[in-house]
Amino acid sequence: MRHYSILEYAKFRWFKAALVLSVGAAAAYLWHDPPVKPHGGTWLGYTLGTIGAILILWLLWYGVRKRRYSSASGTVQGWLSAHVYLGVALVVVVTLHTGFELGWNVHTLAYVLMLVVVVSGMYGVVAYLRVPRAMTENLGEHTLDQIVLRIADIDRDLATRSLSLPDDLVALVNASVRGTRLGGSLERIITGRDARCPTTLAIRAWPAIAKRLTGETAKLDKEVFSRLLQKRELLEQARRDLRHKAVLDLWLYLHVPLALALLAAVVAHVVAVFIYR
Amino acid sequence: MKAHIVHRAGERVLSRRTVDANWLRVGRNASCEVHLPDPRIALEQGMIVDREGLVYLEGESGSQNITRKTVSATRIQVGVPLEIGPYRIESKAPSEGFDAALAIELMRPVEAASDFATRTSRRTLASVGLSKRGVAWGLAVLVVLVFLLLPAGRVLDLPWSQASQTLPLGDRFWNPGALMLAHQPVQARCATCHDKPFEAVRNGACLECHASLGRHVATDSAAAPMFAGARCTGCHSEHKGVKSTHRDSDGVCVDCHRNLSGRMAGIESGDASDFARGHPPFRLTFPGGDGVLERVRQGAKPILEPTNLVFPHALHLDAKGVKSPGRGRVRLECASCHAPDASKRAFEPVSMAKHCQECHRLEFEPAVTSREVPHGDPAAAATVVEEFYANLALKGTPDSFQKAFGVPGQGILRRAGDPSATDRQGALALAARKAKRVTAEMVEVRTCGTCHRVSRAGEGEWKVAPVRAAATWMPHARFDHKAHAQSKCGDCHASARSKAATDISMPTITTCRKCHAGSQPTKDKVMSNCMLCHGFHDATHPWLGADAKRR
Repeated sequence: MRHYSILEYAKFRWFKAALVLSVGAAAAYLWHDPPVKPHGGTWLGYTLGTIGAILILWLLWYGVRKRRYSSASGTVQGWLSAHVYLGVALVVVVTLHTGFELGWNVHTLAYVLMLVVVVSGMYGVVAYLRVPRAMTENLGEHTLDQIVLRIADIDRDLATRSLSLPDDLVALVNASVRGTRLGGSLERIITGRDARCPTTLAIRAWPAIAKRLTGETAKLDKEVFSRLLQKRELLEQARRDLRHKAVLDLWLYLHVPLALALLAAVVAHVVAVFIYR
Repeated sequence: MKAHIVHRAGERVLSRRTVDANWLRVGRNASCEVHLPDPRIALEQGMIVDREGLVYLEGESGSQNITRKTVSATRIQVGVPLEIGPYRIESKAPSEGFDAALAIELMRPVEAASDFATRTSRRTLASVGLSKRGVAWGLAVLVVLVFLLLPAGRVLDLPWSQASQTLPLGDRFWNPGALMLAHQPVQARCATCHDKPFEAVRNGACLECHASLGRHVATDSAAAPMFAGARCTGCHSEHKGVKSTHRDSDGVCVDCHRNLSGRMAGIESGDASDFARGHPPFRLTFPGGDGVLERVRQGAKPILEPTNLVFPHALHLDAKGVKSPGRGRVRLECASCHAPDASKRAFEPVSMAKHCQECHRLEFEPAVTSREVPHGDPAAAATVVEEFYANLALKGTPDSFQKAFGVPGQGILRRAGDPSATDRQGALALAARKAKRVTAEMVEVRTCGTCHRVSRAGEGEWKVAPVRAAATWMPHARFDHKAHAQSKCGDCHASARSKAATDISMPTITTCRKCHAGSQPTKDKVMSNCMLCHGFHDATHPWLGADAKRR
């Protein structure tokens, strides 16, 4: 069965709705001829502002709706599709509501917060369309837990096998077994790298030390080294996976808190303009 | 390949299995011939094939080892165990009829909590301290505090009202845009205009300063009720930039003026929608014959202005020039008589002394004297004449006497001896007769009557009709002569061809439309909206006086 992305949901139903809303708002704005200049306080300004405020409340409600597993009001897929498209249309509606009057005030604060929330959401859409494929390509049929198990297993194996190797190699193996990190800091999770990974350092230092070995020890060394290589490959896979999950998540740390701040700013904006009408 | 596969734990045999296949798949998948049920093993980790003896392949196409980069092929020898993940596979000598016999043992069971797994438990953004909920609440509370509750303190008189006025934050963050320059002194004090919360700015707030501002129509006019409830903010919006609070847009005017007749029965103003396409002819204001201001609309019939003067413009603007007493023929221009006033927008009134008298001297006996009678007062002029001739009859030299009275003689005081009573009475009578004749001729024909409408009011008394030329025919139009200085006067005013003193030199709207388009841009024309010529706040019209007439 062909996979339909949320953007295509119901034959682009919400894309069409957003298009109608945006084009309608733009047409009304062009047709409208207010006494001084377009701004939020004309009848069209109030209309666009009301539509914008309702949209914002509805878009925020998505956070509630997606947690209501028993809800029968449409599918979450449909809700997300509408959330994405109407969120973009919100930019058009609210920009026209401002009449392009911006300044250092609570009104523009709300506008800028809205823009940041929508743009971060757009980034989220792109991430959700791209990253899962990369994740699947990275992990195949395995899971991160399996990889971790596998690394732990390699560690145990390395610890026992390396005992018969020279001290400097044992030290490298021990550093890898005891000191290798996965995640643990924002930087390592987001970059998917660990510049000072003991396993990588061990692999780098290994050949120079190992070339003097002969006989049985050389054979053992080869086995241990290939274990280290396996471990590094597994680590890279795991780190990529952490990075992918972080990319899928990171924008939400902007999107969600700023959406709440936006709600507060919209309330402040609306109350302020009605106190000082 | 027929193989015997035994799983064992130490010496204990867990299962035995016999398989017959072309090759043996090794993996976690239950369908694998060599089934290794451990999460550390891939679904299809590798395979064992018979290539003149058993060979274990990993990483080749078809197998899905987790570490796919590692491709290996290991020959399985009896007595040399093979390690696959945590499993050890030993090849035994096969029994009769079998190609292979494998003993499989799990060497390292899965650790419940491996050191590595424990050490790497922080794998998500949340686990390294990023938070959504905390930040969300924090930001929302901050925004509400700084941008709503604190600024609202003053206007809603909340307990922290004092703080909201002293802190540098306050309601300045509510200001949606710059005020016009004239209003900027009150920009920081919102309450100057926003005096009641939740109520739109009231007219009173504006009129507190703009007290003398005219209304659109006079408060006692019939149209006044139409403006009941009108708000300043209907046309004026503040916080829209430093230049203006309104826009010169015809829409505001045309909304009502396109159909004034439908809005108010008997209204005299014509309907107007655009200067080029829908504007009534001009209405001119000037004093009528009785001196009362009249307002007359230009139309098919020429309008006569009873100026009480008798000479037309064409007389002075003769291309061949006019005779002057001292300079021969002089060609006059408009500017010879019409000088711009200080504003340069309009003209100073024409004055006898400045503009006429150089040629039109008020001499009455030029043969004898260059004295002139005063202008503007016929009685005073008559006295001057009378005194002159009386003086001549008393002291006149024979030459003057002869020239003035037309008979030989001299002033009686010049004769020897005292004049007799008869002499005195004769001289006085002679002077009086002469003065009376000269005065009558001067007033009625030669001097006053040249320009003014003069009528005889009685014996020796005349009435010179007052000059009633309007200084400007459209006193409320925002017309600026200086702005039109690049044009010649004759481009608009047909005065050079005016043959009657009652002609009005005011051009019609057709003349204006030669250069002025309406509110739509037109090639080679000046775009002209209502506000170019009209004002809004002009309630006091000169033609609305109690005794003004309109026709």
